[in-house]
Amino acid sequence: MTIPGWSPIALSRDIEAGSSAGTLLEGQEIVVWRDQAGTAHVWEDRCPHRGMKLSFGFVRGDHITCLYHGWAFEGSGRCTGIPAHPALDVPATICATTYAATEAAGMIWVFQPLGDPAGPPPDDATVTPVRSLVLDVPLEAALAALPEAFEGPLIREGQVALLDAGAVQLRIGLQALSATRSALHITALGAPGTGLLLDLLERAQWLRRLAGEEIPA
Amino acid sequence: MSAPVLSNYDLDDQCYRLRLTASVAGVALDLVNLDAFPGRDHLSRGYLAKNPLGRLPTLEHDGLVLCQPAAMQLYLAGLPGARALIPADPAEQARMHDWLIFADRDLAVASAARACALMDAPGDEVALRARSRALLRLLEDHMTRQGTLGQGYVAGATLSLADLALFVPFALSRDFGIDHDDFPALRLWARRVRRCEGFITMPGIPDYH
Ligand code: FES
Repeated sequence: MTIPGWSPIALSRDIEAGSSAGTLLEGQEIVVWRDQAGTAHVWEDRCPHRGMKLSFGFVRGDHITCLYHGWAFEGSGRCTGIPAHPALDVPATICATTYAATEAAGMIWVFQPLGDPAGPPPDDATVTPVRSLVLDVPLEAALAALPEAFEGPLIREGQVALLDAGAVQLRIGLQALSATRSALHITALGAPGTGLLLDLLERAQWLRRLAGEEIPA
Repeated sequence: MSAPVLSNYDLDDQCYRLRLTASVAGVALDLVNLDAFPGRDHLSRGYLAKNPLGRLPTLEHDGLVLCQPAAMQLYLAGLPGARALIPADPAEQARMHDWLIFADRDLAVASAARACALMDAPGDEVALRARSRALLRLLEDHMTRQGTLGQGYVAGATLSLADLALFVPFALSRDFGIDHDDFPALRLWARRVRRCEGFITMPGIPDYH
């Protein structure tokens, strides 16, 4: 079920300048990449040339380049270079499909439904990133396991779960990868110490078991 | 002294692990290229005399014959003039061994999954992939913890043999149907490994980044 509005798709710190990654949002393939100047871009994960995944590509300067035949795209989505035709002035109509994206509260967000113009920005907060956790269960099942894992009550606000874990307040970005898989982008308000962060990581690992994943022994 | 000799097949993941280790350690290696597919050179009488299980690679040096990749890595890293890839601190060194054994005992399924996917080796590809993915998640958990501790590598704050051993199955995971989307900590770590001096690639690992 699509809730119109901003959806978190990654922790900001996990997408370094000059890198790209693929992800899913309700089954739709998207690529998130950060240019060297630090701006994050979220696009359809599909090269306009032959439809290969742009997330397999590489970022140079302010461009992402497709791995397959080297078409290069600038931040606006426009194709600016085709290696097989170096002299060609690339027509402005050759464009990757871009989505409204922003960063706030330690996460990268995309606006849903994908392709719609952005609404008012998501709430910001000063946080410490903990980790993203990918689970092989639907988002609702992941949400249901959270209070037990972190021993605290949970309030959902759109695509964010606010969880009072006692010693620390968690702000968890909720991403439905598909109908059967989900990602939790876990952040903690303020600047908890290393010991507290390690405890949160152990709880996040235990969440996998609570969500029904088996130990790969 | 002559260079160690590696019986090599370019597309084999464990052969790449050794070429990578030698390159990063700054140790020269003589490669003897075998035709494993389709030639089955690794099952020839001459090769089996050195490596009775018929596994790739084999490392030979001055009469020493090694059949286990981790032992080969340790040997290369211990040669005079090799770059330090074995932590001096006993705890870090033990952690390196812990993860080297994980690479060989547990993540051997990733090699099997890849052989199954690419070279038609026998095995249940779906089960091997699922298990490889679950094990890579354990490594993801470990590297997430390392990041929180301010340690960028598997055994500690510096590159060790464990990073080179574990980089291989992660970097090649797309060969057997596991993409990197679900592994943010491993993506950051793999970028770090790629930037180390002497890093080399193999077919299946693009040399950009
Ligand atoms: S598919 Fe992207 S450049 Fe050809």
